[in-house]
Amino acid sequence: MGAAAIQTKGLGKRYGSFWALENCDISVPEGSVSALVGPNGAGKSTLLKILVGLSKASTGESSVLKRAPVQHEDFLSDIGYLAQEIPLYKNLNAAEHITMGQHLNKRFDEQHMTERLKELKIPLDRPVGKLSGGMRAQVALALALAKKPKLLLLDEPVAALDPLARHDFLSSLAQAVADGGLTVVMSSHLLADLERVSDHVIVLASGQTQLCDDIETVLHEHKLLVGPRAESKDLAESVQIIHETHTAKQSTLLVRLSKSAKVPNGWQQHEPNIEEIILAYMGQAQEGDAR
Amino acid sequence: MNWFVFRQHRKQFLIVGILLIAFAALIVPTGNHFWHTYQQTLASCKQNPATPNCSDLSSSLFQTSTDQMLLHFVPAAIVLLPLLFGIFWGAPLLANEYGEGTNKLAWTQGVSRRKWLTTKLAWILVATAVFMGAFATLTTWWAKTPNILNMDRFASEASFDSQGIVPVAYGLFAVAFGIAFGAWFRKTMVAVGVVFGLFIAVALIAVPNFVRPHYAAPITVTAPMGPGILDSKIPTGAWVIERNIVDKNGKAFNSFNLENMPPQCQKIIQASRVGTTGKGVAVKAGPGDPIDACLNNAGYHQTAKYQPSYRYWDFQRIEAGMYLALTAIAIGATYWLVLKRDA
Repeated sequence: MGAAAIQTKGLGKRYGSFWALENCDISVPEGSVSALVGPNGAGKSTLLKILVGLSKASTGESSVLKRAPVQHEDFLSDIGYLAQEIPLYKNLNAAEHITMGQHLNKRFDEQHMTERLKELKIPLDRPVGKLSGGMRAQVALALALAKKPKLLLLDEPVAALDPLARHDFLSSLAQAVADGGLTVVMSSHLLADLERVSDHVIVLASGQTQLCDDIETVLHEHKLLVGPRAESKDLAESVQIIHETHTAKQSTLLVRLSKSAKVPNGWQQHEPNIEEIILAYMGQAQEGDAR
Repeated sequence: MNWFVFRQHRKQFLIVGILLIAFAALIVPTGNHFWHTYQQTLASCKQNPATPNCSDLSSSLFQTSTDQMLLHFVPAAIVLLPLLFGIFWGAPLLANEYGEGTNKLAWTQGVSRRKWLTTKLAWILVATAVFMGAFATLTTWWAKTPNILNMDRFASEASFDSQGIVPVAYGLFAVAFGIAFGAWFRKTMVAVGVVFGLFIAVALIAVPNFVRPHYAAPITVTAPMGPGILDSKIPTGAWVIERNIVDKNGKAFNSFNLENMPPQCQKIIQASRVGTTGKGVAVKAGPGDPIDACLNNAGYHQTAKYQPSYRYWDFQRIEAGMYLALTAIAIGATYWLVLKRDA
């Protein structure tokens, strides 16, 4: 993994007096597949819209493919975007969407898109409004991929799909990633979907970045510690506690350890899975809200 | 981009194209019928001037219910046609994209938002101008017979509004505001409602009644009281904006009743038990009418303000220019709304 495809600093978006996104610092390496996770209303859609130039940030900076995201042809040519509602022109059929793509883009691989849709047995001559949700999602993904983008931003693309369609969609996506040269950021509130395809994770909660790192590092640095409750206070000084639960005598802590840090005596160490870690970060944000 | 916009709107173009053909199928034969009937009647009246009705062709020709319906329906339809463009072409143009989220699809293709908008606007505005122009041209040609018979194309709202170049400007106005409201409210039905209300308020009520009379200072004529004296001073084809009866102190009466008269004239009426009604001229006609004589003696006279018929094309140009300026404002606002606001 090389340079950053996306870099944001202090990015914020305000609607009236409400901050939908605040102090968002993320970095997405080129060639990675990033999972953008967070509860509903965490600011995932807002962030993606800013990155693709559909919305303007209220504060902060963002660099996408080394440019400021603007509605400029050169910028848009390198970006594929799939909005949450998977918008397509209902009255137009898939073949006409392909023609549309050819007319609206300097670079568009209509042959590949046609073949892909035929492979998936999607009728090209039927208005897309009459296709199933899964087929529409496939048409929309194929349309975004036919642009041969360097960066693909997907906003909860599988949220509305049934499990089979979801599987097929993610397979198509995985195939496109395998072809190479593509950086992907995909948002979802379903962790299981993202685990299959992603190697990098961004946790957004309460409008702020909670975590942004590659999954391997995240797994490596997070530990689940179980030990005497009395000592948990002392531990807080030496390690970063993400989430804690207590019984009368015992404490369970999810902590982030630097490589050099050592687990103190009397504490049992477990390896949490990525889902547990992400949930811990979301929980931390919620507690922060409650306070 | 052009293919795409045409593909998106071809059904709308087709429907209006069919409407235009249907309209032409109605207008061309009836227009010919009106013209030839009029010419034939004119010719026979020249040979036989004594024939009854020849003195007043406008009240004898085309009195069948079908002809009368046509003569009222066609101008009214053209006056309302811009509203259809505003509702079916203007309002949904951007509101549908926002509503369906397809703006996010279009704006993430390799075309800038500005170019996307410009292409869409160009197609819709040009198509509106072309179609409205065709409808207005047909109507103007068709109306030449009623214009001659009524000796007017200026005074009545439906004839001024349905002929010449103004219908094109109304169409552009309605479509542009439909588009702008669509971009503003992002809901087609809201935009439809607002553009409907705006068009009724501006084009059907405010402009013809309160704005149009003032494009140029009207010409004022004055005449003593008496039947027909004032009318004889107003040239044919003029648009009379107001008539008043004025007393010796210069007080103008838009409607003139018994109680507005000086007592000595009221007595004449009470004596003859003849009431006066409405405006202007005293009821009992004839030269040397005692009431008119009394009013003249008391210093009363009548006035009228009118726009002469030679100002017709100036008024058409001024009004068209005004609507085109409003159209430009709506288009400017649309650019601002689309380019500056978030998707």
